[in-house]
Amino acid sequence: MKTGVPGSQEGKVGGRCKRTIEGREVVFDEEGFFDDFEDWSEEIFETLAQESGLSPVTEQHRQVVRFLREFYAYNGRAPLNNQLRKGIGLSLLELEALFPGGLKHGARRLAGLPNPKTCN
Amino acid sequence: MIYLDNAATSFPKPAGCLERALERYLQLGASPGRGGYDLAVEAEDAVSAVRRKLCRFFGAPEDYRVCFTYNATDALNLLIQGLLKRGDHVVSSRLEHNSVLRPLHHLRKQGRITFDLVSFSPHGFVEPEQVAAAIKPTTKLVILTHASNVLGTVQPVKEIAAVCRARGVPLVLDASQSAGAVPIRMKEWAVQGIAFTGHKSLLGPTGIGGVLIGPELDPDPIRFGGTGIDSKSLYHVREYPYRLEAGTINLLGILGLDNTLNYVDQTREASFQHEMSLLEKLRDGLMKLSRVRLYCVGDLRNHLPLLTCTLDGHRSDDVGAILDGDFGIAVRAGLHCSPLVHQDLGSLERGAVRFSLGPFTTEAEIEETVKAMTAIAR
Repeated sequence: MKTGVPGSQEGKVGGRCKRTIEGREVVFDEEGFFDDFEDWSEEIFETLAQESGLSPVTEQHRQVVRFLREFYAYNGRAPLNNQLRKGIGLSLLELEALFPGGLKHGARRLAGLPNPKTCN
Repeated sequence: MIYLDNAATSFPKPAGCLERALERYLQLGASPGRGGYDLAVEAEDAVSAVRRKLCRFFGAPEDYRVCFTYNATDALNLLIQGLLKRGDHVVSSRLEHNSVLRPLHHLRKQGRITFDLVSFSPHGFVEPEQVAAAIKPTTKLVILTHASNVLGTVQPVKEIAAVCRARGVPLVLDASQSAGAVPIRMKEWAVQGIAFTGHKSLLGPTGIGGVLIGPELDPDPIRFGGTGIDSKSLYHVREYPYRLEAGTINLLGILGLDNTLNYVDQTREASFQHEMSLLEKLRDGLMKLSRVRLYCVGDLRNHLPLLTCTLDGHRSDDVGAILDGDFGIAVRAGLHCSPLVHQDLGSLERGAVRFSLGPFTTEAEIEETVKAMTAIAR
């Protein structure tokens, strides 16, 4: 996690990181993924996006994040790769380029979805 | 879909083998060795025949003990935990999968054992001299992967076994990746134990694996329970194979393995040549991409049909997702449960992408894969 963001306070909790962003206390895992899907807000997204080097945040970014969140909220899991491609109308290669952190550490993390922790 | 994750599990399977196994299971499905009625005796006979077949397949005399397990991890745990006593020292390598690393680390954390992990060469091989140098007077076991699941390099087992034999230390092989892909000659190489799984290059179903143990090894059971013999005793029996097989065994898995062993025996050589020829094409195609970094594929002798690479500027899990979502290609991205290999390759942070071929991989699929990687690396 980057430090020194105006208005944010940080503290380590075990391997996790507790921060106050936009007046809300949020816990992140060791890779910067939200501990709780419900802690996400559009304001927090904007702050984290800026920290990740995503500037400016466009409507296309917001649409991707909305799709990911709505899919997760409805299905209880992240979309499959094929569902993601169809759902956002972009190839995953294009989506990867859209976020500085790529698919997992960019789009998925900023959308507040849990860390999939697959083989890493 | 183009399936290039055969090192995780082979897919597709030879369907006829498994269909015939199911038919047989439906006729023979009593609990092997758990009753005196004919059907149970016949089931036990069928299982015993597979044990003998496995001995032949792995070049072991019939007095070697064959015990069935769920998979190779289970088999390795039986061997590691069953063989090692307090104060023992173990030699292994940095090429190992977590199925070896984790049992060793847990036993060390409990204060029961110590171990040393031998490095691998820049070409991906453990050198016999390094193993010799790591053996101490307290070393009770050398345990090594026969073939790296990340690099695909097949280790010089015969030479390493000679070193172990000279020092009086048994060698146990993790044959997860090699069993069914390359020949294994337990007696000829003086290998005392192997752990294998049925669902990779042996093309069998998941849920069946095993150990083959030579006469010099006598692991203690780590699980206790019903065996179908000596029920009066409140302690687990010492006789093989029951010693390491507590509870009802996976008859359907064993019958499936029985059939795929025949299939692999008949097709292995031609299949391996086919897969290695495709691997060469894949390697040559990827080598043309300046941002792709390949590991240990300069010389494909003593190699399995798999290769691992990283792509500059991309995380491996994203490359895996793009290959799947955009191109319909299934690969394994990440650390492949072998963190120390990636630590040494420098890919611990971003992981790597593994392409592993199987007997049913086609040339057209490899061409599509190279095209896909070219598009991603552009």
